Amino acid sequence: MSFAKSPALNPSDLHDALQTALIEVSENAYFVFVEPADHAQFADAVSLVKDNWLKVSVAFEGSFAGAVEITMPEPLGMWLVTSLLGMQAHESLEEVQQFDGVGEFANMVCGAWLSRLSDDCLFELRVPAVTRMTAGWSPIAETNAHQEVICRMVTINELPMRILIRAN
Amino acid sequence: MNQSSAPAAAVKPLNILIVDDSATMRALLHRVVGLADLPIGTIYQAPNGLEALKILETHSVQAVFTDLNMPVMNGMQLLREMAKRDSWKDLLRIIISTDGSKLRREEARELNVNLYVEKPFRPEVVRDVLCQIAGAQSV
Repeated sequence: MSFAKSPALNPSDLHDALQTALIEVSENAYFVFVEPADHAQFADAVSLVKDNWLKVSVAFEGSFAGAVEITMPEPLGMWLVTSLLGMQAHESLEEVQQFDGVGEFANMVCGAWLSRLSDDCLFELRVPAVTRMTAGWSPIAETNAHQEVICRMVTINELPMRILIRAN
Repeated sequence: MNQSSAPAAAVKPLNILIVDDSATMRALLHRVVGLADLPIGTIYQAPNGLEALKILETHSVQAVFTDLNMPVMNGMQLLREMAKRDSWKDLLRIIISTDGSKLRREEARELNVNLYVEKPFRPEVVRDVLCQIAGAQSV
């Protein structure tokens, strides 16, 4: 199934809904501000990342099916979760807390995006899957052949984040 | 199951059950509930509907905050189970979910859900919900 087969959805709607969802989640729940980035700005921000990347995926099923996939450097994930929970900068997170918190971020973005796309469709979201990518992995090098993809690149506190939406 | 107690209050403290598979969201809601200037008794936590039912069967709870998408037993399944028990008919039901669709809201209304809060939410929204609950309880 593809997005193109879904009623009343066009690429512009999909992108706009994703942008709105991302901003709402980031600003309202995580108290961080999102800066849109073009390919060059995103590549510059990625080139400065020395840490491992986290990849969070939330699969969904309903009128159409797919997955929202968010990649971010580990320090950004840490920052998001401590911000959400109102923790102090010196407080540390265990890995399980960090993964749960970034999973919830992706869950909220996915849910908010789907809610904004259609008020008359029901979707089921799966439990977020969080993976720490191997050292040296970069979102720039990843190819997305054979799958319909919506891609948005942003920076948060000068750290890069990429949001992909894949259709099954 | 997880539980903790907020500072004791003078009148009619509310016992609250938070149901969410994300420990982060449970921690956030626990913190927000604690910020409300209300007499809160015990805040129970459950990672899914099945664990929530076990708590409801064995503890006195006045309000349930539940997520919808959860493994084992989801929020709608939990609310359907709650609707079967006459002894739980006065229990306040609050959904906190990313799913804000009209269809889901209608489904929730049929299950006597008192309030539907869409994620992402601002902490003051949950605080206001608690104030409404406290107002209703004191009538």
